[in-house]
Amino acid sequence: MSPRPRVHHLRKPQIVQAAAEVLYERGLFDTRIADIAERAGTSSPTILYYFESKDRLLEEVVDNSDREFYDRIWAEQARHERASAKLVALVEETSLGPGRLSDYTLWMEIWVRARRDPTVRQNYFRLDRRQRELIAEIVREGQGTGEFSRDTDAEDFALSLSGLMDGLGVQMTLGQPDLTPERMISRCLALASGELGCELLPSSQNGKKSQTREVGR
Amino acid sequence: MTPDAGAPTARERILTAAVRRIASEGIDGVRIARLAMDAGVSSALVHYHFETRDQLLAEALEYPYKHAGEIRLPEEPPGGASHAERLNAMIESCLPGSEVQRDDWVLWLELWLRAAREPGLRPFAEDLYGRLHHWFATEIEAGIADGEFERCDADDLADRALALIDGFGVRALIGDPTMPVERARRSVAGALARDLNVGERLTALGSVEAGDEPKRLSRTN
Repeated sequence: MSPRPRVHHLRKPQIVQAAAEVLYERGLFDTRIADIAERAGTSSPTILYYFESKDRLLEEVVDNSDREFYDRIWAEQARHERASAKLVALVEETSLGPGRLSDYTLWMEIWVRARRDPTVRQNYFRLDRRQRELIAEIVREGQGTGEFSRDTDAEDFALSLSGLMDGLGVQMTLGQPDLTPERMISRCLALASGELGCELLPSSQNGKKSQTREVGR
Repeated sequence: MTPDAGAPTARERILTAAVRRIASEGIDGVRIARLAMDAGVSSALVHYHFETRDQLLAEALEYPYKHAGEIRLPEEPPGGASHAERLNAMIESCLPGSEVQRDDWVLWLELWLRAAREPGLRPFAEDLYGRLHHWFATEIEAGIADGEFERCDADDLADRALALIDGFGVRALIGDPTMPVERARRSVAGALARDLNVGERLTALGSVEAGDEPKRLSRTN
């Protein structure tokens, strides 16, 4: 038996975790493979064995944080019956940012690199589509049950909401005064309420269950 | 040193070279030796003016904005333009439509990234957002005062406009096939139109005429 397969599944997550920490702290440009090796308690050659470059490591880190994000999202979505509650839950989870750090730094790294690296670009498009499809799916569900207005195109709405979340997320990460995750959530829900013809409230204002009040358009 | 009035100093040439390199290749592409060559100076002189590479990068990111004295906002739309037309022109001026705007956007992105980690750059980013916010809020308030826009919270809408411009702009910059610049403009306008109660009047406006190239945060050369 070769030891490699056994080591593989132990060591790779460790490296990704260490890379995530170092990347958050320093940024891709100022991160050296050796820093990650030190944090992970391994060697640079080992890291380069698993990941050919820092760019690929960044992608793995983002993929990983995205997987965790969707794991939380799916678990959360399953708890809600109404589409409006699902949408509120999605906005709230997203506003906390990847790793719940209220931090879009990793996305900024991706955006900067996506312009120059086609692999990073395709990867970003894939992640972005997935989020938009999830939003659109919730909207169509709510339109089916009559919670949301049918005049709004689900895909257009998904694009607007994800654009707004990204833009606000950047400002939050840059420490814009008064922009807290709560404020970001209320801004996103204000846009969604207008577009979907209902009143979406943060779950904190609704006890644990968030609801919508139908308002005429 | 007695430079001619108006002639760029070595320091300015170095910063201009750094700005160009960042715009074309990103911060990763900035090497001192290459910058020195671009600026027509020696590496030693670069090190003389900028103690560390980080210091040079931080200054380069701020340079286009500081150098301009203050953010030069696009030319006023022609007299008689409605507030909807002006708002439309403002949105367009903030998106990465032209080459110059795309370069500015790349710098803007790099600035975000550095400001996220270096609190020292944050007041600067905050100032930029503050000015843009003021610009949009003022126009919206003027439209409300003139009865063209529905009464609404101008500050909230200005924030929404800026966030959408960033969120859509970054997709347009990267080349997301579902978000060309023209769609970004329409989408930002559309997200304001309902609250302003201007219906299709904002979204249906075409882009401002070619040739009259608006600039986001203008770089002076």
